[in-house]
Amino acid sequence: MKPVRLALTALMLLGLSACADQGWNGKSIEGLMPELEFELTAETGETVTESVFAGRPVAMYFGFTHCPDICPTTLARLVAAVRRLPEPLQEELQLAFVSVDPGRDGPQQLADYTDAFSERMLGLTGTQRQLKALTRRYRTTYGYEDERADGSYNVSHSSAIFVFDAAGEPQLMLLDSLGVAEIAADLEKLLAERAENADNA
Amino acid sequence: MKILSGVVLVIALLAGALWWVADMQPAEPIEIDNPRVRLVPGGAPMAGYFTLTNHTDSPVRLVSAASEAFDHVMIHRTVVSADGNARMAHQDDGVLVGAGETVEFKPKGLHLMLMRAQRELEVGEAVEIVLGFEGLEPAERTVVFTVVPVTSS
Repeated sequence: MKPVRLALTALMLLGLSACADQGWNGKSIEGLMPELEFELTAETGETVTESVFAGRPVAMYFGFTHCPDICPTTLARLVAAVRRLPEPLQEELQLAFVSVDPGRDGPQQLADYTDAFSERMLGLTGTQRQLKALTRRYRTTYGYEDERADGSYNVSHSSAIFVFDAAGEPQLMLLDSLGVAEIAADLEKLLAERAENADNA
Repeated sequence: MKILSGVVLVIALLAGALWWVADMQPAEPIEIDNPRVRLVPGGAPMAGYFTLTNHTDSPVRLVSAASEAFDHVMIHRTVVSADGNARMAHQDDGVLVGAGETVEFKPKGLHLMLMRAQRELEVGEAVEIVLGFEGLEPAERTVVFTVVPVTSS
């Protein structure tokens, strides 16, 4: 009887420690930031709000299409991570690319860009007021550098992916240092938890 | 028997001499591996990546890049600050590669920023980019880059 009790205690302790450090590769932002809310222009040209995601979990990245290096690298990693998820979970997650460069990123430009990564990625942008409202909400910034002689300019932006649950509650910040496997593990954990909650309800 | 050993000796000497010459003078003073352009749709700039090794015994500096396939090419580095914000830093002084050293142009680091493709590019296509160096003779090298999908690293 005694070894069994010991084993049970050990299991309980293991379970407790697993709960204590939540086991994310990314940074948990649960309860630290307000729920998803925005008014932006979609790649279709329509004005949309957070309801465009129809109650699905969302992975959102702030960037711009004239960003040849880190934006495609991060979006490609995200898409590769999603492809590693079990099929039903892949369908559930909505991907969103918010351009903070509305001057160059019109709807058609956004549609071409996001389609190159995934058909489940929605391109969004807005006025400076709309974009500032959204980025401030998630304590991130963006800015423009001086124009060069040829009229091109550089944009600074957040390097993290923000993940929201189906209710629009912020859950995770996936930092740019994470690899495909780490992102996939976090997404699977988040989406599986959601499936479990739905089963219990 | 004597003739045979003489022939063997001559072959061995020749091989040795060839090896020595090859060792003295590397075939190429600089080596560029895995040159690739990551295709981005919609007319947005693309990134060029490669590995650059300097086989000479003095430093060389990559100072320029140009291509007929693009309006303008710049040498950039992506910098992510402590607060997680990302920006691109123009490499005004080019990129120094010390004697015998290797510098990698790779995602989220050094890259060529290829502005305004002059024609529609396709995955698998070859694109010539002329790299200009200081400390190298001749100063310009034409490198054939392969166009790879945007989802590749």
